[in-house]
Amino acid sequence: MASALRPMLLRQTALSAATRRAATVPASAFPSRVTPFQSTIVKNAGRIAAFHASSRRSLLPPGPQVIKGTVNDAVPVPDPVPTHGSYHWTFERVIAAGLIPLTVAPFAAGSLNPVLDATLCALLLVHSHSGFQSIIIDYVPKRKYPGAYKISLWLLNIATVLAGVGLYEFETNDVGVTEAVKRVWNA
Amino acid sequence: MAALRSTSSRLFAAASRSSAGPSMFVRSMASVGEATVNADPKSSSSARNKTFQIYRWNPELPNEKPKMQAYTLDLNKTGPMVLDALVRIKNEVDPTLTFRRSCREGICGSCAMNINGQNTLACLCRIPTDTNELKIYPLPHTYVVKDLVPDLTHFYKQYKSIKPYLQRDTPAPDGREYRQSKADRKKLDGLYECILCACCSTSCPSYWWNSEEYLGPAILLQSYRWIIDSRDERTEARKAALDNSMSLYRCHTILNCTRTCPKGLNPGLAIGEIKKEMAF
Amino acid sequence: MNAQRIGVRALQQVVRPNAFSQNIPRLMLASLQTRGAATVKVTPSEAQTILASQRLQRPVSPHLSAYDFKQTWFSASVWTRITGGGMTTALYVFSISYLAAPLTGWHLESATLATAAASLPFAAKAGLKLLVTWPFMFHLFNGTRHLVWDLAKGYKRPVIHAGNIAVWSGSLLSALGIACFL
Repeated sequence: MASALRPMLLRQTALSAATRRAATVPASAFPSRVTPFQSTIVKNAGRIAAFHASSRRSLLPPGPQVIKGTVNDAVPVPDPVPTHGSYHWTFERVIAAGLIPLTVAPFAAGSLNPVLDATLCALLLVHSHSGFQSIIIDYVPKRKYPGAYKISLWLLNIATVLAGVGLYEFETNDVGVTEAVKRVWNA
Repeated sequence: MAALRSTSSRLFAAASRSSAGPSMFVRSMASVGEATVNADPKSSSSARNKTFQIYRWNPELPNEKPKMQAYTLDLNKTGPMVLDALVRIKNEVDPTLTFRRSCREGICGSCAMNINGQNTLACLCRIPTDTNELKIYPLPHTYVVKDLVPDLTHFYKQYKSIKPYLQRDTPAPDGREYRQSKADRKKLDGLYECILCACCSTSCPSYWWNSEEYLGPAILLQSYRWIIDSRDERTEARKAALDNSMSLYRCHTILNCTRTCPKGLNPGLAIGEIKKEMAF
Repeated sequence: MNAQRIGVRALQQVVRPNAFSQNIPRLMLASLQTRGAATVKVTPSEAQTILASQRLQRPVSPHLSAYDFKQTWFSASVWTRITGGGMTTALYVFSISYLAAPLTGWHLESATLATAAASLPFAAKAGLKLLVTWPFMFHLFNGTRHLVWDLAKGYKRPVIHAGNIAVWSGSLLSALGIACFL
């Protein structure tokens, strides 16, 4: 109702003022000629991002908002990579499902025979590796920290190989994982 | 009235900026913002006062931190829903409070926000009658345009990327319409009702950390709605578009989506069905 | 608030509508009116640049600090990840140090570990057992639940709620039981 009664002139003045402010934005808000001030904008944005109401040392600071393309462009669809998608997912589930009987059985049987014990070790290793892998993919995103992503994946690969060799040594020279746990447990 | 006032305040802001300078303006606004406003100063003893803590951020003052502002309303004079309270605050207490709303009956999805820690539609959320403060935030981990208004541009761009429309190469057998059995139609129940309010996507921690690449529950539910549509003929292409480590498989079945959906849908189940279809 | 009202009053006095301005055709008015501020034409690309710079200023709304903590800090899913990560770290640390043991001179054979464990006081033994058992039981229980979910079963809200209670209490109770009686 108010807007219907409002005189035309006022509305136009208001509109032009609003547009002018949105278009040129003279004072403090942000510089109008963007290019020479681009660096200060980015710096400011960083300061504000650190200032927001959630914790300052936030997990995965999201950084200033950048939208690629116009509002009407769809987000690009990645190429299908089943080895990192559906095959990988199914493989992970099969390993996890296989681990259930292997971890429950020692409770019933006391310990496992060497073959099953070695299988348990191998599956544990693969399960651990893929678990850590998805932690890295989640929290060290490739798009944001490509270097750290690569380094942490390689560190994980090295650690898994070393742990695998160590477990092999333990399996061949010692009593096996389930038996060792049992002995330490009952000590 | 509210429209007039907000326009004029903008006008005044423009005028004052030239004369007083920006820093003075900032300070005067801040003192207004921090005041706790009581809508009913002469409220009687039967008043049921409820305090609403609302997230405020003004893009005109981008260097100021977002803050929580308290408003106290008498529930006897307010409608039952949180949206009623917000509208009343905007009308009677503070016209600068900004939020989206349209249908007030849970069909448009505009008033999605985080109320007392859970994402929901303000128009479908009753005001709890206890005396605790009610906290209202914008949808979590979104970029804030102003106050309770999040920028959902990326969310809509993701929606567009799943091609949310029927794709067919063969014409209808009778040349008129694409028919579907009752059983096939039933598969769409619980999917087509989604109003894309983004409550579920913004409740998902996985979407918080990887929203650039992970599609999130709402978009995946929509994707499943087209994958299982018996009339659609691009099912394999739709699945292939999700078959990478980021688009679909950042879902770790946290299930905040299912718990938060204000329409009672089950995005978690839809994602589970997609994964199952793609696995076996 | 009052300052804004004064601003409105002042503006209304300046542009108070009268018969003259209302009866003039709009075109004439457009040519007559004096604008306090000139309108600046903005091309679409410039508008895009302005929008982009506005976006850079936007804060991110609170998430972990605002969301229901039962669904973030105490969600079964993240604790499955935490317990899994912890146990994996332990496994890796043990097996890598076992591999390095001949070089460093550590004794990590099962017999040595067993005697070391036997020498611990009872309270420490029980505490350590609980510390090992709870993550294991939790990861086992909730991992099984996740496998059921992966079959697209058990997604109803009451089922999820009951499952949460079952996993937390079940893992604690069974861990206590195993640490005490096994």
